[in-house]
Amino acid sequence: MKNNVPLAHDPSHTRTLIDELLDEQRRLQTPVAVFSDNHAQGTTSTRYRDLIPLSTPKPGEQYAFQVDLDACTGCKACVSACHSLNGLDENETWRDVGLIHGGTTAVPYQQTITTACHHCADPACLNGCPVQAYEKDPLTGIVRHLDDQCIGCQYCVLKCPYDVPKYNERLGIVRKCDMCHGRLAVGEAPACAQACPTHAIRIVTVASESAGTDFLAAAPSADYTHPTTSYVSRRALPDNAIAADAATLHVQHAHAPLAVMLTFTQLAVGLLATAPLLPLPAKVAGDFLRTVTYYVTNSSGRAAQLAGLSLLFTGLAASVLHLGRPTRAWRFFLGLRTSWLSREILIFSSFAPLTLAALFWPGSGILRAAITLVGLIGVGCSAIIYINTHRLFWAPLPTSVRFLGTALIAALIPIHTPAAIILLLSKLVFEISRLLGKSVPARIQRGPLRRVFALRVLLGFGSVLALFVGQTLAAFALFAAGELTERILFFRAVDAPKMPGVPTA
Amino acid sequence: MIPLDALLHARNGPMTRELTLQTGKSALGQIPARLAPASTTNMVCGYCSTGCSLKVHLNAEGEAINLSADNDYPVNLGSACPKGWEALAPLAAPDRATTPLLRNAKGELEPVDWSTALDAFVSNFKGIQERHGLHALSFLSTGQIVTEEMALLGALGKFGMGMLDIDSNTRQCMATAHVAYKQSFGFDAPPFTYKDFEESDALVFIGANPCIAHPIMWQRVMMNKRNPEIVVIDPRRTETAMAATLHVPLRPKSDLVLLYGLAHLIIERGAVKREFVDAHTSSFAEFAKFVRRFTPEFVAGETGLSPEILAQLTDIIARRERVSFWWTMGVNQGHESTRTAQAIINLALMTGNIGRPGTGANSITGQCNAMGSRLFGNASSLLGGYDFSSPEDRVHVAGVLGIESALIPEQASRAYDQILDDIDQGKIRGLWIIATNTAHSWINQRSFHEIRKKLDFLVVQDMYATTETARMADLVLPAAGWGEKDGTLINSERRFGIVKKVARAPGQALSDFSIFKLVAEAWGCGDLFRAWETPEATFQIMKELSRGQPCDFSGIRDYAHIDATGGIQWPYTERDEGLTNHPQQRRLFADGEFFTSDQKARFLFDEPRAMPEVTDAQFPFLLMTGRGSSAQWHTGTRTNKSAVLRKLAPRELHVELNPVDAKRLGIGDGERVCVRSRRGSASAVALVTTIVQPGQVFMPMHFEAVNMLTYPAFDPHSRQPSYKACAVTVEKP
Repeated sequence: MKNNVPLAHDPSHTRTLIDELLDEQRRLQTPVAVFSDNHAQGTTSTRYRDLIPLSTPKPGEQYAFQVDLDACTGCKACVSACHSLNGLDENETWRDVGLIHGGTTAVPYQQTITTACHHCADPACLNGCPVQAYEKDPLTGIVRHLDDQCIGCQYCVLKCPYDVPKYNERLGIVRKCDMCHGRLAVGEAPACAQACPTHAIRIVTVASESAGTDFLAAAPSADYTHPTTSYVSRRALPDNAIAADAATLHVQHAHAPLAVMLTFTQLAVGLLATAPLLPLPAKVAGDFLRTVTYYVTNSSGRAAQLAGLSLLFTGLAASVLHLGRPTRAWRFFLGLRTSWLSREILIFSSFAPLTLAALFWPGSGILRAAITLVGLIGVGCSAIIYINTHRLFWAPLPTSVRFLGTALIAALIPIHTPAAIILLLSKLVFEISRLLGKSVPARIQRGPLRRVFALRVLLGFGSVLALFVGQTLAAFALFAAGELTERILFFRAVDAPKMPGVPTA
Repeated sequence: MIPLDALLHARNGPMTRELTLQTGKSALGQIPARLAPASTTNMVCGYCSTGCSLKVHLNAEGEAINLSADNDYPVNLGSACPKGWEALAPLAAPDRATTPLLRNAKGELEPVDWSTALDAFVSNFKGIQERHGLHALSFLSTGQIVTEEMALLGALGKFGMGMLDIDSNTRQCMATAHVAYKQSFGFDAPPFTYKDFEESDALVFIGANPCIAHPIMWQRVMMNKRNPEIVVIDPRRTETAMAATLHVPLRPKSDLVLLYGLAHLIIERGAVKREFVDAHTSSFAEFAKFVRRFTPEFVAGETGLSPEILAQLTDIIARRERVSFWWTMGVNQGHESTRTAQAIINLALMTGNIGRPGTGANSITGQCNAMGSRLFGNASSLLGGYDFSSPEDRVHVAGVLGIESALIPEQASRAYDQILDDIDQGKIRGLWIIATNTAHSWINQRSFHEIRKKLDFLVVQDMYATTETARMADLVLPAAGWGEKDGTLINSERRFGIVKKVARAPGQALSDFSIFKLVAEAWGCGDLFRAWETPEATFQIMKELSRGQPCDFSGIRDYAHIDATGGIQWPYTERDEGLTNHPQQRRLFADGEFFTSDQKARFLFDEPRAMPEVTDAQFPFLLMTGRGSSAQWHTGTRTNKSAVLRKLAPRELHVELNPVDAKRLGIGDGERVCVRSRRGSASAVALVTTIVQPGQVFMPMHFEAVNMLTYPAFDPHSRQPSYKACAVTVEKP
């Protein structure tokens, strides 16, 4: 078959049609070429002017999104316009569109829900931030995030009931919607409002006090943070309206460094509290290895203390690994007035030197009391951090049982086997009882995480068995592994609230 | 205090600056300073037929770095849907085809250079022709490439390579509208302009869900200041049905009966515009006689609608001054779709709702260039809307192209399904698939997978080597995409818009136009296409072909003319070009003269037929398929490449199931179920919702498994597949 196109490699042909077409394909018109225009010319759209307030809010008022549900028909342009006009990363979106549905077969109902930051009157993100990386603008009420201040601890991600702050892996910080404050400042509508073909999104001025009254029935309760977004419609939402992804189980991030930090610090608090009650070592001479061997075999007290210290410092190191931007964490004290995370950092920062001091003054009763007390306060702070997120799985009782349980059982294993057995069995029974019912954590632990849960139970009972046969060291190791697994479940199976999503989202 | 505060609160810094908006006024408004363009250029979007103009932001090298919606274009008026906003993302996908790929002896696709690829193309295809005859080759093309490429491909395939039966995926979306208009009006001529959305007193949507399928058209509906009635005729409570003033939830595929019933009621009511009907239509009397038996009682029984809702609907159509009818895939994809579309046309004709502002029997097209494909695909009509069977037409077209008229086949191509049948029967042995994903989108998908095995050689030309179809190919040709080439698209309202090269295609990928030119040279028929030097030169040829046709656009000077005027609707003759203040929004048939030989529109009708596969005890649910979200396009080959669009779309295939049925079957919301038909099965997540009626289920077409289920029924006139009706069962896995 004769091929009329000369081969590209044929030395007798320096240029072929293939070469020419490939070259042509690579040639772009330059900005000065035909058709392109200077973007300073052309029409700036003015049809969005009525989508923003004419004047800035008065005292006691703030800007807020208002969504006309009757006009919002599911095109989702707001999400991608926000993404493009704000220059977000490829996989980053600050706005989202979900679906709610309900009604009856005779009167069916579905409604798309567009949602971004609700610029809450009482923003949980801001309250929880340990470094004041959030500010509520005193004039506009916009909740702004300081990207260069953020340490990437992601506590705001856990605190926000609407899944608004988004962690950016590339930067190691979270970012979120700022209501296009820069656009608003020059009388331009936010990107989402500009892009909405049916003008369903506008900025209005609301009284901060009444925030949350027009919020969405199918969304997480407005009582917690008082979101200012209002969803308005001429027709009433049916009582049975639910999110289209209501049945989707969202297995959450494991936050492995946090799971390590929590279990290890709690184990350490327990061990260090009771280590002084165990036999103390006689002085030994010799090399390091011999010393350690001697301690472990002959002095359970010193062994427990060393183990406690290792766990403590490994746990604290892990907590630093969790941060996206650890070098900025020195500002933690800024949040002490509102953030339990700041308080936790402060407590454990003072706990660590106390435990080191005990190496040198092992006999000090005051030091022993201080270690126990400060350690327990630290564990308490850790618990409140999660309790404060208003999630059912992390409610006061279950969180306290888990966190204090870990510390208490760790304290008892070396000194009182029967009590340790009873407490550990009780904790296991408590955790197993959480498998019952239709709650999201129960379904996640019975479903996608059932193997992890089984492992957790095996390790727990293994520890009980080891205690029965007097293998304290093995019991403690199994116990520690079990608690770590329990804490991973604690993070992964949590009922994380969010705004309605699309089906199977 | 201030220095201390600045130390404690890092309000500025590199991360803050990443998102800082550019201050200062420009027509773009504020945009990220990091992405400030050197200039911008406007071009129409390459997804759907709305034909929105996007303002592409260019850097100093002329490369696209971002885009926004064009404020000044008469179609979208500053808006775009998320696919448009994300139009650049699919170009940067990591799985772009960057070299030709040829299946080697081990059965793997292996990168080769273009000359090897062309050798393989020519030797395999010519070999097939030598063994099995000229007509043993065929191609399946697309509504997604520019008109110039369609015209060149159609001419190359038929006049250069001797193919007889060729088709495109337009068969799956718009063939019905094409045939319906052609038969009723004498030419495939959607009569409307988008302004009609704003100027109607009543808009009747039939099998259309513009809220998510054509959101920017829905914008125009929302701009209507006449307090219009919005009627949605659809079995599902869609987004558009929610926004309607009247939702008519008829039984699936009972639309033809409903439309005949409405015609009957309008006649009964004396609301026929006799003067218009007498002057401008033919065969109304026969039609009136025919619909007499479609009494409200009969229609109510067939459609499941109450006589009250029929009366209400009749009242709206009869009473409102300007009534427009809009249909999409719910009509086009049916087993009697052409007559259904014509039943809509009949309603518009008999009520005089045509040719006036805010009226019309209007087909909302699917793909960005389905209209280009209908005019220049060279499949069922000869290039430019001519008739293959007419010797005068063949001579005329051959004259314009400067070729022998003997090269032009004397009959139109047979359709997609018939081509696949011919492959099944061994008559067609070589197939070239261009920019479509048959292995996912074809109805009763498994049959295509079987049929493919009978091909001696399959060539797939696409942006991606990863589509379900490309993975089956013997040879993959890497194509440049939208934004990487020049040309024109024609939108739903007959408006030419242009696309431009604003990004470099990766690797060795070439525009479809260049690939066709290379194939022509390699085949040895390059001389036929010397005048088709560039896309713009080809546009000049197309202009000449259109001269004197109803679609005459010989008055359009060149691409710059289209660019400067905000798109140009056909017809646009040289006489129009001379006019100053030529209106940007024009509709057809203001004079009541149609393109038939007697200039009268025809009332066409047929006895309704039961749908080919009905539900029974074994398969008790009727499965409807359709668009799932505005973030997804067809088989997802492009939209799945955008992280933003992926987030906005359902992650998994789901099936909408009414709570009554779910309760009976013991299926809970979110539970995994198996949906099974006589042809295959699909695993899906149950979405228990009242959006669907009892006995009906709905699945979005964007997931591959859905067409494992669909039943291959075809409209006899348009041969468009009926994707929206087949019998399935839903069971626990």
